Amino acid sequence: MKTRGVGLVELAREALTNLRVQGRRSVLALLGVLIGSAAIVALMNIAHIAQMEALNSFRQTGVDLLSVQSDGLASLDPVLIDRLVRDDPEGVLAAPFAITTLDVSAGARSTGIMVAGVTPAMAGMVGLSAAGGRLLREVDDCSPVAVLGQKAAADLSAPGAAVGPGSLVRIGGYGFTVVGTTAATAPQALSPIQFDTAVLIPLACARRVMPQEGATGVLIRLLPGADTGAAAARYTAALSTPQMPVRVEDAKSMIQAMKKQMAMLGGVLIAIGSISLLVGGVGVMNVMLMTVMERRREIGLRAALGATPGEIRMMFLIEAVILALGGGLLGDVLGLALTWFATLFLPFDFAINWVVLFLGAGVAASVGLMFGLYPAISASRISPIEALRGD
Amino acid sequence: MVVLVVKALQKSYGQGQGAVLDKASFHLPRGAFAALVGPSGSGKSTLLNLVGLLDGADSGEIVIDGTRVGSLSPTEAAWLRNEMIGFVFQSFHLLSRLTAWENAALPLFHRGVGRDERKARALAMLDRVGLADRACHRPEQLSGGQRQRVAIARALVGDPRLILADEPTGNLDSVTGLQVMNLLRELNRDLGVTILMVTHDHDMARLCDRVIEIRDGRILPQEAAG
Repeated sequence: MKTRGVGLVELAREALTNLRVQGRRSVLALLGVLIGSAAIVALMNIAHIAQMEALNSFRQTGVDLLSVQSDGLASLDPVLIDRLVRDDPEGVLAAPFAITTLDVSAGARSTGIMVAGVTPAMAGMVGLSAAGGRLLREVDDCSPVAVLGQKAAADLSAPGAAVGPGSLVRIGGYGFTVVGTTAATAPQALSPIQFDTAVLIPLACARRVMPQEGATGVLIRLLPGADTGAAAARYTAALSTPQMPVRVEDAKSMIQAMKKQMAMLGGVLIAIGSISLLVGGVGVMNVMLMTVMERRREIGLRAALGATPGEIRMMFLIEAVILALGGGLLGDVLGLALTWFATLFLPFDFAINWVVLFLGAGVAASVGLMFGLYPAISASRISPIEALRGD
Repeated sequence: MVVLVVKALQKSYGQGQGAVLDKASFHLPRGAFAALVGPSGSGKSTLLNLVGLLDGADSGEIVIDGTRVGSLSPTEAAWLRNEMIGFVFQSFHLLSRLTAWENAALPLFHRGVGRDERKARALAMLDRVGLADRACHRPEQLSGGQRQRVAIARALVGDPRLILADEPTGNLDSVTGLQVMNLLRELNRDLGVTILMVTHDHDMARLCDRVIEIRDGRILPQEAAG
C-alpha cells in the first residue's frame, strides 16, 4: 500500500477558508491570543528598552572604569591617587572629586545644590562640554570660579536675571565667578555626580567650602579590556586603611549585576505574559472544540471519502495554529503600539527588540499547537457512521 | 469477473444482543446494478457500512476487486475507501461552503491530487451528470435533484470499483427520484461501474438488475432478477 496524502499547503488553504467562513468566532478566538502575546511583546520590549538605556549610561565612560568612594567623611589624597594610577600599568586617567550639598545663591535666590570639586580631568572622563563660557582648566588651580550644570543655572536664574558666564554666585558663603555652563550630560553609571544639576568648582579649593579635605571619591579609567575586577581589588588594597575604608565599584561587575536583575525581571514578565497567553490558548481550544462539534457531519463525510484520521487531525491542528499565529502576529503589532505608547510616559526612546517579536509570534503558534491538539484528536476519532447517520 | 464478495459476514453490537448480520453472503459481478432491500432494522445499513469499510465485521470476509479488506487500520481503510468506493447518501452530504465542482472533487483532494487536475476531473464528471453549467454554484443554489447529481459526480470522480448508494432517492420527489435513478442506470451502463443501492422503494428496486433481500440479518435466497 502506498503512502500519500494531502499537502500541507492544501490543508492550510482549506483552514484559511474555514476560518474566514467562521468569521466573528475566529476573530474572538484570535483576540485572546492577541492580548496575551501583545502583553508579552510590550512588557519584554519595554524591559529591553530599559536595559538598553541602562547600558547606555556606560557609553560615554566605557566599561573599563572604576569608581572609588571613601566611606563617611574621611577623604582620599588626590596626589596619592594620581601617583597610584600613573604607576598602574593598566591605569589611564584619574578624576578625583569631592561632593557635598551646599546653599548656593545668586542675587536673592538661594537653593541647596550639589557642589562638586573636580579636576579638569573630569571633563574628559565623563564627556562634559561647555554650553556657554568654558569648562574648568588647569590654570584655574584654586581660583574662585564655578561651572554650572544646565539645570543648576536655570534654578539659580531669576526672571530678568539669568545666571551664566560672568555672574557671581555665593557658595557656602564664598563668592565664585561663573565661567561657564555645561551642555546636557546623561547620568553616568558610576559617577555620583549629576552634572546637569551640580555646580563644579576646582577641587584644589573645595576645601574652603567643604567640610572634608581632599577627595571623597575618584573615577579611574583603565586600559580597554582591563580586568576591572582585579583592578578593583588592587585599588581597594592600596587605598583602604582601618581608619578609612573605601568602596571600589567596577563597571563590568555592575553591568553583570544589572543584567542579572534584568534577566530576573524578564522572567517575571514572561511568566505574567504566559498566563494571559494560556487564557488565550483555552479560548482557541474552546473555539476549535465548537468547530469540531459543528463540523461533525463534514468530518464524517471526509472520512468516508478517504480522509485518514491523521489528515483530519492535521486539518484542525493547522486551523488552530493559523488562528493562534494570526493572533500572535497581530499581538506583535499591538505590543509594539503599547510599547510606543509607554515610551511617551517613560524617559526612554522607542526601540524594537526583534527577538521579542519572533518570540511573541512563535510562542503564540506553539500555544495554538498545544491547545489545538485535543480538539484535533477528538475530530480524528469521530466515527463516520455516527456522524453521517440520520439528520 | 466478480467485484464484490461478501462471505459469511457476522456482526453484532454489544454483548447479549442478537446478531445484526448473521452469516450474510452474496457477490456482485462487475457492472452489476443491485438493490439491497429489506425492512428497517434488517441489517441493510450495517451491511453497507461493512462493505464501505466504515466498520469492521466480527467475522466473515469481504473482497473488493480481488483485495481482501479484513482487519485494516483506520488509515488503510481510509485509503481503500478513497480508491475503491464511491458513496451516495440519502441526504446528499455536500459541504455548503464549497462549490459544486469543489464538492465533486473532494475524494481527489484527499487523494492528494493537485488542484488543476482535481478541477478538470470534477468538471468532466459534472458534465457527465448534466451539471456542467452549475459547476460554480453552491449547494444552496441547487435543487435537490441537482445536489444528488453533484453527489453522484463526487462518488464517481475517483474512478471507484464500487458505488454504494444509501437510499439515493429517499429525499427526492418521485419525478426527480426517477431522474436520478435513470442517471445511475445510465452511468452503470455507460461507465460499467458496479452499484449496490440500499432502498425500501420497490419501484426503484425493480429498476435494478438484481434485488438482494435481507431480513433479520440474513440474505434471503435469490429471486429472479427484476
